[in-house]
Amino acid sequence: MLDNLPLAAVSVEANSLKFGHWLTNSVLVGALVLCAITWFVRRGMKDATLIPNKKQNVCEFLVEFLYNQVEGIVGKKVAPKAFPLLATMFIFIVVSNWFGLIPGVGTIGWDSHHTSYLTAEHIKTPLLRPATADLNMTLAMALCAFFVWIWITLNELGEHETHGKGGLIIRLVFGFWGFIKHTFAPKGGLTGPIAIPLFFVFLMVGVIELVSIAFRPVSLSLRLLGNIFAGETLLHTMMTLGGALGLGPLGQFVTSVLFPIPFYFMEILVGGLQAVVFTLLCAVYIKLSTTHDDAH
Amino acid sequence: MDIITKVLSTFGVEWPMFIAQVIIFMIVYAVLQKFVFPQVTSMLEERRRRIEEGEANLAKIKSDLESAERKASEIIGDANKQAERMIREATDSAMFAGEKKKQEAVAEAGQIISKAKEASQLEHEKLMAELKRDFGRLLVDTTTKVTGRVLTQEDQDRINKDAVSQVAL
Repeated sequence: MLDNLPLAAVSVEANSLKFGHWLTNSVLVGALVLCAITWFVRRGMKDATLIPNKKQNVCEFLVEFLYNQVEGIVGKKVAPKAFPLLATMFIFIVVSNWFGLIPGVGTIGWDSHHTSYLTAEHIKTPLLRPATADLNMTLAMALCAFFVWIWITLNELGEHETHGKGGLIIRLVFGFWGFIKHTFAPKGGLTGPIAIPLFFVFLMVGVIELVSIAFRPVSLSLRLLGNIFAGETLLHTMMTLGGALGLGPLGQFVTSVLFPIPFYFMEILVGGLQAVVFTLLCAVYIKLSTTHDDAH
Repeated sequence: MDIITKVLSTFGVEWPMFIAQVIIFMIVYAVLQKFVFPQVTSMLEERRRRIEEGEANLAKIKSDLESAERKASEIIGDANKQAERMIREATDSAMFAGEKKKQEAVAEAGQIISKAKEASQLEHEKLMAELKRDFGRLLVDTTTKVTGRVLTQEDQDRINKDAVSQVAL
C-alpha cells in the first residue's frame, strides 16, 4: 500500500509563477520574508528609546545575543566586520524556515491543469514555497558568505602582514600572500631537516584545504536546502498519508490534521537548528582563516 | 562543467532566479544594516554608558553617605562631649550657687535670730521697767493706804528703790 507513496511529494525546484519567469514561488516567499523583517524591525526600532518597548526589546535581545555569539567565535577584532552578514543570514534563514510552516505555504496553488484559480487539491505549482527550500536562495547566501569571507580574510591577513600600514590594494595583495602562507606553510615553527619532508606534507594539506574551501558554498547551500526540502516533503507526505493508506474522505481529513502535528514541532526545531548551523559554520570559517599562527 | 550545469539544472538554479534571490538577501542585509544593527549597537552602548555612570554615581553617593555619616557621628560625638561639659559646668555652677544661697540663708537666719534676740531683750527690759514702775507705784499706794500718811517724794523714791532692788533679785 505504501509503495504508491511518492518519495518527494513536492518538486525540488522552485516553480515560476504566471507573472514572470524569474518570479518563482520561492522568490515570492523571499520577498515576503524581506517585507516581514523590514516591517518588524521598523516597528521595533522606529522610536527606539533607552527604556525599550516589547518589539525593541526583541530586536535588542536578538542583536546582542547574536553579537555575543559571533564575538565568542571570531574574536573581538573581527566581530564588527563579520557580524552584520552573519546576523543577517541567521535572521533571514530562521524566518524563512519558519515561514514555510505557516499553513497554506506549499499547500495552496495551482493544480496540474494550470487552471487560473487557486486550489488546495492536487497541487502542481504551489503559490508559496519556503525560500530556503530553493537552491537559488541557499546558494545565493552561501556565495555571499563566501565572498565576504574572502574579503574579511584578505583584509585581516593583509593588515597583519603590513602591520596596519599601506592602502587597501597593498593590504589585499599582502593579504593574499598571507593566505598562501596561512594555507601552505608548515605550521608549528618547524626548522631543520625535518621541515623539508613536512613542507611537502603541508603543501598537500594546503591543496586539500583549497578544495574544501571551494566546496564550502556547495556544502552550505545543499545542507540547508536538503534539510528544509526534506522537512517540506515530510510534512506533505504526512498530510497525504491518509489518501495513500486508502482511507475515506473523513479519515483523510483527520489524518491530514493529526499526522503532521509532531513533525511541525520537529520542523520548528530543525528550522532554528539549520539557521544556527549555517551561521556557525560561516563564523568558524572566518575564525579559521583569520587566526594568525603567532596568535596561538 | 557539464555535470555542474546538469546538477544546477536539476535543482532549478537559473541566473534570473539566482540574481533575484541575491538581491532579496542583499536588501535584507541593507535593511538590517540601516535600521537595526547601528541603532541597537549604539543603544546598547548608550545603556552600558548610563549603567556605568549610574554605578559610578552610586559609588560616589555611597562614599558621600559614608563621609556624611562619619561627619554626623563626629558632630554628634562633639555635641555629646560639649553637652556633658555644659551639664557638668551647670551642675558645678548650681552647686556653687546653692552653697552660696545656703550660706546667705544661714547668715540671714543668724541675723534674724540675732535681731529677734535683741528685740526680745529690749521687750524684756521694757516689760521689766514697766513692771518695776507699776510695782513701785502699787507699793507706794499700798504703803500710803496702810500707814495713812502721805508719802513724800523722797519716801516714794526710797520705797521704789528698795522694791526694784528686791524685784531685781
